[in-house]
Amino acid sequence: MSDDALLDIRDLRVTYWGKSLLGFRGKAFDAVKGANLSIRPGQTLGLVGESGSGKSSIANAVLGLVPANGGTIRFGDVDLAAMKTRYPPDVRGQIQAVFQDPYSSLNPSMTVEDIVTEPLRVHTTMSRAERRTRAVELLGLVSLSEEHLERHPHQFSGGQRQRIAIASALALAPKLIVLDEPVSALDVSTQNQIINLLYERRDELGIAYLLIAHDLALVHHISDRIAVMYLGHIVEEGPSDRVYRAPAHPYTRALLDAVPVLDPDAQRRRRASRKAAPARETPRLAAQGCPYRNRCPFAMPRCEAQLPPDYPVDGGGTAACFLFEAPAGQGSARLRLVQA
Amino acid sequence: MKTVPSDGPAAAPSRRRRGASGSAAIVVVAGAILALLVFLALFADLVSPYDPLRQNLIASLQWPSAAHWLGTDDLGRDVLSRLIHGCRIAVIAAGEATTIAILIGVPIGLFIGYRGGWWDWVVMRVVEAVVSIPGIMVAIVILALLGTGLHKAMIALGILFSTSFLRLARGVVLAEREEVYVRSARVVGASGGRILLGHILPNIAPPLIVQTTLTVGAVLLAEAGLSFIGLGVQPPDASWGTMLSTAAAFMDLHWFLAIPPGIAIILTVLSINLIGDVIRDGVGRGITVAARQDAPVASFAALADVAPSAAALPPPRPDEVLRVEGLRVTVSTADGGELPLISDLSLSISKGETLGLVGESGSGKTLTGLAILGLTSVALRTTHGSIVLNGRDLRTLPRRRIEEVRGNEVAMVFQDPTTSLNPAFTVGSQIAEVLRAKHGLSKSAAWARTVELIDRVGIPRPGERARAFPHELSGGMAQRIAIARALSCNPSLLIADEPTTALDVTVQQEILDLFRDLQAEFGMAILFVTHDLAVAADICDRISVMYAGEMVEMAEVDALFARPRHPYTRGLLSAMPHASDRKPPLPTIRGSVPRPGTWPAGCRFSNRCDFKVAACERRIPLTGTDRLVRCIRADELVLEAAQ
Repeated sequence: MSDDALLDIRDLRVTYWGKSLLGFRGKAFDAVKGANLSIRPGQTLGLVGESGSGKSSIANAVLGLVPANGGTIRFGDVDLAAMKTRYPPDVRGQIQAVFQDPYSSLNPSMTVEDIVTEPLRVHTTMSRAERRTRAVELLGLVSLSEEHLERHPHQFSGGQRQRIAIASALALAPKLIVLDEPVSALDVSTQNQIINLLYERRDELGIAYLLIAHDLALVHHISDRIAVMYLGHIVEEGPSDRVYRAPAHPYTRALLDAVPVLDPDAQRRRRASRKAAPARETPRLAAQGCPYRNRCPFAMPRCEAQLPPDYPVDGGGTAACFLFEAPAGQGSARLRLVQA
Repeated sequence: MKTVPSDGPAAAPSRRRRGASGSAAIVVVAGAILALLVFLALFADLVSPYDPLRQNLIASLQWPSAAHWLGTDDLGRDVLSRLIHGCRIAVIAAGEATTIAILIGVPIGLFIGYRGGWWDWVVMRVVEAVVSIPGIMVAIVILALLGTGLHKAMIALGILFSTSFLRLARGVVLAEREEVYVRSARVVGASGGRILLGHILPNIAPPLIVQTTLTVGAVLLAEAGLSFIGLGVQPPDASWGTMLSTAAAFMDLHWFLAIPPGIAIILTVLSINLIGDVIRDGVGRGITVAARQDAPVASFAALADVAPSAAALPPPRPDEVLRVEGLRVTVSTADGGELPLISDLSLSISKGETLGLVGESGSGKTLTGLAILGLTSVALRTTHGSIVLNGRDLRTLPRRRIEEVRGNEVAMVFQDPTTSLNPAFTVGSQIAEVLRAKHGLSKSAAWARTVELIDRVGIPRPGERARAFPHELSGGMAQRIAIARALSCNPSLLIADEPTTALDVTVQQEILDLFRDLQAEFGMAILFVTHDLAVAADICDRISVMYAGEMVEMAEVDALFARPRHPYTRGLLSAMPHASDRKPPLPTIRGSVPRPGTWPAGCRFSNRCDFKVAACERRIPLTGTDRLVRCIRADELVLEAAQ
């Protein structure tokens, strides 16, 4: 499936170094520990995980904001990982981004016209008038209009600012847009407006999205496939509906169960089935083994010794969990998991 | 990591605007003074009544007269003429030295701040070496190399003052380069130079402009100093500095000599500072535009007439801990009016009960919590209503009594535990301090109780963790500590403001369970402020939905989710990510939450409501007995619960 992929990530490693006393490279910390992901043209991959899972590090590596410390990021014919962070302009223009915080992602001293046309100024030789025409066109795509061109970001609400950020990301007609928590800073009533907008533009313009978010339910609405990250590892990947409705990996399951639902009665039942848990110690785990083993109710001795490889799951996709080692359809362990 | 827009109303712009209009006249005066200065500098020869160097020893040290408007100096030279010629030196001195300082300091500071690494290390060590030597000595050393004279002195001062520009530019770039818009610019493919000059520079201009105006003043004074020790302007040429040094020598004989150059320096420096402030406000982030006025503005005079009606008051409940009636919080506007942020809010909470205060940003939910504690910022005023806690109206209590109530009877847990705990002290000492101050426990007793509390909130190895600093704990742990601190005085009311919003969802679940557990044990009432209806469904007994500064619905939690009665509640419920299980288009509420001051005159939700009728143009009261709703069509509308 990696042959026709637009973006294909293999064994990606992202490492951050602390600083020692004299300013030299200190202790290394692997934020991403060998991730595999793939996105086809015009499709959306939702990348879900909690804080510290490494999902934003993958986004930053794809965008060339941090260098990869190993592995490949194939985008079309080029390996982005090999270029470190110095992408040639034609590649740069094809990968754009929308960030989480619409209050700091727009330059406060620029007008909307400056912000939306900045990619055109950097990458094209369009005249001012041509850029303005294109800017009006782009604002139309995000349901804003020409009258907004001269305004500054602070004159807009959070939802409108995010529309401006999307218009700017669309300016160069990119093939891939990395959406890093695009709606989590917005009000509930505005979130869906932005999700709907992203969905419509994707189908219209044939853009692929890498959607980073912490909320599986939200990601499920718009993604074709979903990948779940935990402590730098991708623990599960598969078609959106399968991951959301029939999560395989114990962590994905825990993640879904922890999200409160809008039904007080259901919440009561869920509460009854668990009792107040003490705070967990920060896991200080040996390098080998499953990253989730100390929280996993199904942990086995071998989970300590060996990192589980990706096993295929019924309904599509993979889970990095020994419970799925048995041939599809026969796993008694999996039955146990489903019953739990 | 999730973040939620803060609820804080945009109070600052209106205050700023009032200040700006008030100072317009001063700006005109300052501009006129600077224009006069430049004019005099250019045409000093034509304007000045006498030759500034012509001596007349007979008429020395004269007081102002018709012939010599500002008198004469020790050599009988006309002070006014010397003052006018001094303008020329002042303009040259300030212009030259400041320009040199900016041209050297700003580019280097920008570069090393953005680039970092060993460039930064080397340059900063050199700068530190320079600033560790007294400035005047550095100037003397530079002048010893260059020779004396006005221009050379100004080069020396320029080099000296460039270090402050360099350090300032580096500092602000260090902070600015982490902004998300810089990342956006890098993703777009803008070069380093373009990012630095086109994106970052306009945003860091304000502090640099302030530094410029301060430097001009400092240069004028430094010129006087250098001239005084004979390294700057050479006698007999007139500069304000040399005039001052002359005046210093004749202080006893003729004190008036110091007045004209002194006033000239003061006026010039003041004018430049004022103009600098105006330029700063006009550049980049300084722009603050008042709240948009394009939306319909409610008539606030009419609004004030709506007295808290009896129907709007929640019925008395058994074991009431807190009862708020008719609460109104306002902010002063530019035109001296009072803009309401919360109006006519009434609620009550019983012992052992959790009331959810749910709403989006701008709904006033956080502000309500702060107003109950009396912790609103100075720009805000609680103008109406009563806040009765355990039988006493907090609004009538003197300030000292309220401070006793806070922490003893009511405690608060905030959204971000890592900032609500003081990073400089261990978490245990922060809890123990409260116990000693409020309960008068001994040091060892307070510590023992602290460890007990930390254990109670489910933290393993409590004795060890009590000695940890906040940054050594995860977000969930830190929030547990914040809860332990809030519980240390056994409050009867706990106000929790989005206490799980900054946490991961699996940790959120643990914290919610902890709240419930502790409530069962301690029996406190909880006011739980959240934007997340699903969280409210888990933790709350009753929920009050807020929109645009007022309560629109209040109901028992089961009733609210089974059958919402206000169209806004229904809209919110169906917009929650878990509410629908389908592909887009997802249900939305059109438009966005209006800012305070742009609320529709009648029903505040009317401009976004699908069920609006003509009658919604009037103010709608909160009606009902058991469950309250602020909708004129509540009885006829049958709103389905989400899914």
